[in-house]
Amino acid sequence: MMAQVTRTDFNGKAVQQTQTRDDDWSRLLVQVGTHRDRAAFERLFHHYAPLIKGFHYSRSVQAFSAEAADELVQEVMFRVWRKATSFDPARASANTWIYTIMRNCRIDMLRRNSRRQDADGCDVEVDDIWDESPESQPLVVLQHKRSQRDIAEGLRGLPPEQSHVLEKAYMEGKSHSEIAEELGLPLGTVKSRVRLALKKLETILSKRGAP
Amino acid sequence: MIRHHPDSNMLLEYASGSLPWAMSLAVSAHLQLCPHCRRASEQLNEIGGGLLEDSAPQATSGAALAQLMERIDQEPQQGEPQHADSPAGEGAPVSRRNTRDDRDPALARLPQVIRKLLGGNRPLKWRRVSPALKMSRLHTGQDQYEVAFHRISRGGKVAEHDHRGREVTLVLYGSFSDADGVYSPGDFLLREPGEVHRPIATQDQECLCLSVVEAPVSVTGPLGWLVNPLLSFRPA
Ligand SMILES: [Zn+2]
Repeated sequence: MMAQVTRTDFNGKAVQQTQTRDDDWSRLLVQVGTHRDRAAFERLFHHYAPLIKGFHYSRSVQAFSAEAADELVQEVMFRVWRKATSFDPARASANTWIYTIMRNCRIDMLRRNSRRQDADGCDVEVDDIWDESPESQPLVVLQHKRSQRDIAEGLRGLPPEQSHVLEKAYMEGKSHSEIAEELGLPLGTVKSRVRLALKKLETILSKRGAP
Repeated sequence: MIRHHPDSNMLLEYASGSLPWAMSLAVSAHLQLCPHCRRASEQLNEIGGGLLEDSAPQATSGAALAQLMERIDQEPQQGEPQHADSPAGEGAPVSRRNTRDDRDPALARLPQVIRKLLGGNRPLKWRRVSPALKMSRLHTGQDQYEVAFHRISRGGKVAEHDHRGREVTLVLYGSFSDADGVYSPGDFLLREPGEVHRPIATQDQECLCLSVVEAPVSVTGPLGWLVNPLLSFRPA
């Protein structure tokens, strides 16, 4: 990926090279994975813990209570520490990788709280279904990962009614029909808003990262 | 060649974690077979990453990091990967051995998540539903959907039926056809309630599918009496 000038204002030890901010977080993750580098992990924690919490609990999102969001932060960052050895910066940006861990963690938590188990004989776990490991995947033509900043900017550029449904889906964890019910819209409208949003983002998602 | 995929709405529900467990299981198996959708799902994860980056940061408690480091200190040396259980390339866990399942060609090459599911459900108990159709219910740790393997014998015809709830069918082995087309391994079909269909397996091979059904199936065809046991599709 092209090196770019950072707009970052990292506190303290600013990274010398010119590179994207995503790459800095990825590099820290690699350090945690390869050297169990605690200083690197602490910097990741200071950056991501408040974002993870804010993703689930903020003025505009109340998917979780503050306490539950704190608990989730602990669990997610714990898994980040443990799984950092399998982080591959060529496959995903730090944000995306942490997002997938966070999502799985949240599914785990919600599942544990709502045990309607007929679990006898069921060995399948969250990480089996939402499995991002390369072994579980078909051969995909190696694609360059997109700049996470482009994606965030693309999201900000969506019409509000489109970004709203995406936020409800991702941050509040609502299904399309739950969103439709909550907003008093036909299901078809929610579906088409989602598709329109994806179409708008597609240019960014499929082109920007090209070499 | 896979021609039928989950739509982008369903992939987004999967990527954002709101798709029900049983449906997610079927989507996951499809992703393990379909590079096209795998790629789409990575892009949907990237949207999640973008939303994470853009979240309004909320301070965590001051002790959070110290607590976490303490927990990490209690970990055994070197964070080992969580998946110590299924070595890559191995078949389903062999704890509950059943040589009939082991020799079953339809079960020989399954997506990883289905192998895992199979591992916990062995030995499979097949029940004859109609002359051409057998099914084996699968425990998946939820009861909102009925998850099962269905197998149609070579050239076998299944009585026409419709569904009161949404049904996903993922072809795993062999192929079958209905009025709309031919479906091969990896094909992911979603049928909305009320759609009537009548699957027929191809002549050369039997066909194995994973099905995830939201509500009991009812029989509508004139041969309905033949397939009465279909009514026992209803979750126990
Ligand atoms: Zn597909």
